[in-house]
Amino acid sequence: MDILYLLIPLSLVFVAIIAIVFLWAVKSGQFEDMEGPAHRILMDDESPSPASKILSSEQQNDISPR
Amino acid sequence: MEATYNYKVVRQFAIMTIVWGIVGMLVGVILAAQLIWPTMTEALGPLAPYLSYGRIRPLHTNAVIFAFGGSALFATSLYVVQRTCQTRVLSDGLASFVFWGWQLVILLAAITLPMGFTSSKEYAELEWPIDILIAVVWVAYGVLFFGTIMKRKTQHIYVANWFFGAYIVTIALLHIVNSAELPVTLTKSYSAYAGVHDAMVQWWYGHNAVGFFLTTAFLGMMYYFIPKQAGRPIFSYRLSIVHFWALNFIYMWAGPHHLMYTALPDWAQSLGMVFSLMLLAPSWGGMMNGIMTLSGAWHKLRTDPILKFLITAMSFYGMSTFEGPMMSVKTVNALSHYTEWTIGHVHSGALGWVAMISIGSLYHLIPRLFGREEMFSVKLINTHFWMSTIGVVLYIVALWIAGVAQGLMWRATNSDGTLTYSFAQSVNAMYPFYTIRLIGGALFFAGMLLMAYNVWKTIAAGKAVNDARIPQAVAA
Amino acid sequence: MTESNPEACFHCGEPVPSGAKYFILYQGGNQPACCIGCQAVGQTIIDSGNADYYRLRTDLPKTAEAALEELKNLKLYDLPEVQGSFVKSEGADGQIREANLILEGIVCAACVWLNERHLHQLPGVLAADINFSTRRARVRWDDSRIHLSDILKSVQDIGYLAYPFDAGRQEELFRKERETAIRRLAIAGLGMMQVMMYAVPAYMAEEGTMTPDIEALMRFASLILTTPVVFFSAWPFFQGAWRDLKLKRAGMDVPVALGVGAAYTASIYGTFIGSSEVYFDAVTMFVFFLLTGRFLEMSARKQSAEAAESLIKLIPAAAMRLPGYPATREEEMVAAVKLMAGDHVLIGPGESFPADGSVVEGYSSVDESLLTGESMPVTKHAASLVIGGTINLESPLVVKVEKVGSDTVLSSIVRLLDRALAEKPRLAQIADRVAGWFVLMLLLVAASVAGIWYWVDPTKAFWITVSVLVVSCPCALALATPAALTAALGRLTRLGLLSTRGHALETLAHATDFVFDKTGTLTTGQFSLLDMEVLRTDRANVLALAQALEQGATHPLASALREAAGPADLAADNLIYIPGRGVTGQIGGQTYRLGAPEFIGAAPSPARFRVGVSLVGLADDSGVLAWFALGDAPRLQAHQLIDELKGLGVRIHLYSGDRDENVQALARELGIDDARGGMLPQDKLDAVKVLQKAGSIVAMTGDGVNDAPVLAQAQVSIAVDQGAEAAQAAADMVLLSTEIGRLADGVKLARKTQGVIRQNLAWSVVYNVFAIPAAALGYVTPWMAGIGMSLSSLLVVLNAMRLSRISKN
Repeated sequence: MDILYLLIPLSLVFVAIIAIVFLWAVKSGQFEDMEGPAHRILMDDESPSPASKILSSEQQNDISPR
Repeated sequence: MEATYNYKVVRQFAIMTIVWGIVGMLVGVILAAQLIWPTMTEALGPLAPYLSYGRIRPLHTNAVIFAFGGSALFATSLYVVQRTCQTRVLSDGLASFVFWGWQLVILLAAITLPMGFTSSKEYAELEWPIDILIAVVWVAYGVLFFGTIMKRKTQHIYVANWFFGAYIVTIALLHIVNSAELPVTLTKSYSAYAGVHDAMVQWWYGHNAVGFFLTTAFLGMMYYFIPKQAGRPIFSYRLSIVHFWALNFIYMWAGPHHLMYTALPDWAQSLGMVFSLMLLAPSWGGMMNGIMTLSGAWHKLRTDPILKFLITAMSFYGMSTFEGPMMSVKTVNALSHYTEWTIGHVHSGALGWVAMISIGSLYHLIPRLFGREEMFSVKLINTHFWMSTIGVVLYIVALWIAGVAQGLMWRATNSDGTLTYSFAQSVNAMYPFYTIRLIGGALFFAGMLLMAYNVWKTIAAGKAVNDARIPQAVAA
Repeated sequence: MTESNPEACFHCGEPVPSGAKYFILYQGGNQPACCIGCQAVGQTIIDSGNADYYRLRTDLPKTAEAALEELKNLKLYDLPEVQGSFVKSEGADGQIREANLILEGIVCAACVWLNERHLHQLPGVLAADINFSTRRARVRWDDSRIHLSDILKSVQDIGYLAYPFDAGRQEELFRKERETAIRRLAIAGLGMMQVMMYAVPAYMAEEGTMTPDIEALMRFASLILTTPVVFFSAWPFFQGAWRDLKLKRAGMDVPVALGVGAAYTASIYGTFIGSSEVYFDAVTMFVFFLLTGRFLEMSARKQSAEAAESLIKLIPAAAMRLPGYPATREEEMVAAVKLMAGDHVLIGPGESFPADGSVVEGYSSVDESLLTGESMPVTKHAASLVIGGTINLESPLVVKVEKVGSDTVLSSIVRLLDRALAEKPRLAQIADRVAGWFVLMLLLVAASVAGIWYWVDPTKAFWITVSVLVVSCPCALALATPAALTAALGRLTRLGLLSTRGHALETLAHATDFVFDKTGTLTTGQFSLLDMEVLRTDRANVLALAQALEQGATHPLASALREAAGPADLAADNLIYIPGRGVTGQIGGQTYRLGAPEFIGAAPSPARFRVGVSLVGLADDSGVLAWFALGDAPRLQAHQLIDELKGLGVRIHLYSGDRDENVQALARELGIDDARGGMLPQDKLDAVKVLQKAGSIVAMTGDGVNDAPVLAQAQVSIAVDQGAEAAQAAADMVLLSTEIGRLADGVKLARKTQGVIRQNLAWSVVYNVFAIPAAALGYVTPWMAGIGMSLSSLLVVLNAMRLSRISKN
């Protein structure tokens, strides 16, 4: 079972990697909003027509600082 | 260019998913027929060796897992990562490379496996030059996927991407470690590991390939396409995060359950059993999360066959993740190991879960990729759904009975200690079940043909969408 | 969805008043809107390419008020000294800025989507993320291209309200605390799983199947994994234990720290010597489960605390200072935080006071409902005191600042709420004391167990002592009450019932009698048009005239009239407001007067209107046109509340200072038997004392300053209406929601909470009675003890968490 001399240190490395990824996720605020992301994908606008894009650029002029 | 999504690569992979699905399942149907009529391909004369069971069985597994399943995952992951990160893929050139590279891998597999070139490791039969190509394409895929996440316009990384990400990293690692081999000639190599070490590494690979390729990755699909198709947010986003971490962590260690009653130390086998049982919790958590997404909107199931595909897939996922841990219990395993039951279990996962979630996702995806409101015929989707469901049920029920019968026949002894049945008797007892399995498999395969027709008509009436606008990119 | 209904406003879904002429152009057709506000908002949303909002939304927004706040007010937020407290600047010239905004009006995910899209479309906005759970937005912008006021304005344009807030206070603290807790939990969880992975084989392997070198390898690996769990994840327990020891107390962290520390030290010894047992699995599991319990408890507590935060926003960010006053009236804009006692500030109508102070110049009325619950505005003139956060309604006032910052009344309210959250309920205090004694006893038991076993069998003495320390569960005992209370308080807060005193929930559960004050409690406390008498022309016409005359007024009677009249279609000129009396103006060349009977110079026939209503007359040059009777209507849920409380076996009393016939009328309508009107505060106090003498536990519900003595006398008191009673130390609970029916839910929840507390205490007693002797006799190994103790604590917490999920029905 000397393969364990490879596998066990390897498992420690894995755990360390998982821990680092998880701590990164906490730090970068991935777990701050636990409701919004579920809704957000539904709000994704899938209409391929670029028409509304033109509208919105007109609107930008309207909103620009008065 | 930057203001639109790259739908081209998604489209390419989506089409090839259907093509490879048909090819892979056709091979499966031939194999099932060969079990009933073992000599059926001999009529082909000089071609017969290329279609012998031993050669096309790996062709079937490679085609359905890596060609069909793989293409479905490439298509959906690249679609989901773009849409949820609100950005175009890192590089269009790299995307093309991944697509053509992967098609080349499949083509080479389809040529070399019938010719008998194999490394003889299950689910990793391809020889070393193809292994190197796989590694290169996979790393390119990883760069493409994670690069896209790095340039995302949203702060949050949607949970589906976490599942896809874990799958990409793990598969790279598994493939590279397990395929370490010493080439002898262009078409022959030997594993870098010897004896029981090779078995352990092989099943560490085999187990986690199932875990991360056929489970984690398709869960990523589930976490995007079920909410989208249902038009409702996932039941609990919090649970999906817990699901991700718990599943992936525990999965790693359940591997030894593939090596029950082998030369592996007893305690390692027991360990595999314990962790397999623990897997039930996150698996079912995930399943409930997917199914409960529909709570309050169950009526949608009656009218939407795409949703039927997706939710039925979740049910099969639940069933096979319950069956799996049960089969890892040593006493159950003593009966089920090496019998048809295992094949039935694999197909309840592969057809019921993997294929059905992919088919549902593709039905959602195809109209969007080709600028159509919906598929050419919703009625045909419904027909496809019933063909698939009945096909899977026939398949797994037949093999479940077959497996139990087989196990019981093998272990039955007379009072003097001799075996009650000869091996040939147990084979003979399989005929009726093999026939039902062939019918079930053929039904599922026919459903794929129906899908191909439906997709063909949808594409013919539509137009490839190349200007899918990225909403957030509108910001100045 | 609702927009297909031709009767409902396309934007807010409210019924469209007949004759309204507001339309929103949507997909080539005209959709009706109920008011000019909804029209403007709806059209802005559609024209900015976000029409999908109407397809995606799952809830209807509030009716959009025509933007009252002037752009000038928003401009305040652009001042550097105002931004100092909540804006982060970056870049070479500090032009890249970032602020946190509170968003009001978010009702469903589509609102989040709409706001994000809208913000992204603004040129110069670099990033905008909205947190759906907290309704907070983080915005980054380039100040050389767009100003914060423009961003706020454009959010207003689509019907929401955004204002910056200083995330520096509790918000940030909580976020950090939560992040650290997740980190500790994750490390402990990972460590536990992986150590289990190494420990399980050792338990499973039959004698001799696992070679000693493999076992040693696994022990070393476990040691590496357990070390961060002990020194990072379990650190708070060591800190807590050290604090307890310094204060010469025996808190529940002491045995935890002792157990973890001893087991870890012994395991290190075992790893290197290789002969004795190791307990890494027990240590990691123990720490993980304990942290899980704490994490759940912390989440519940955070929800309770959020309500207090919302009060802070009442203080405006900036003020108009008059540095040369009274010599010159030169104005300068300064941050509210920079004001000092003695400064003079000018507060225009519609603005709120930045600090406490006294009026130096001007005559106006002020809305103090925040502090008093009194819906009628209070008249203010020279030398009157004004309170920061209240709103000036009619005309400009010059105020001399007297108290700023933490000395203000509003700050004291917030402190009050903070204190209540921190204050331990009596039950919890008892539990704490008991747990303290328990721990002390436990340490003695552990010491004697160690001594006895050392004498009987020294090889077992160590692990049995560790088992005793670990298995006993002071945590379950100490958590039994607070866990249930925090879960219940969180749930209550979400129901809109804020508990400001620790004992409130407990007493509420036992209340036998509910005493209600009439005004503002069972009634809305706000004016609405109850009745009217039209002497000339018709009803629609007089309402339209009144509406036109009151167009710009902020007085509650005026808004009641405007609400009754619906959309305006007449305009008045030459409006002259006479504060506290009425208004005159010209409509179509004709002069009209609207106001109190004295102002009109006439009175309606005495029998025409019921008593207790406020009368407003409308007259032209040739005499009175109409009388409007405005008054207080019963709240929507009052009837349901009384029925539900009766169903819970609670006796209902209505004690009011109002005239007896009004009170009796209301009592008849709601089905209250014991109703008394015309009561002075002293009478109410006496009546409550009589109830209490008879053995009743009285819950008093009131809304005004005049109720203070009786609120204090009652065993538990509930103040109705936002913030009203918070000003008084007398109230134990504040109903923040307008839905009075929540009170009954509160009582039900309070009773359930008592049940859960009893279950929890019973469990922890039973558990310890069995577990400690078993451990002392050596039947429990440390890892079993770890599981037992952790599961026991977890059970208590989870049982308590049930309370936070009980639905409001």
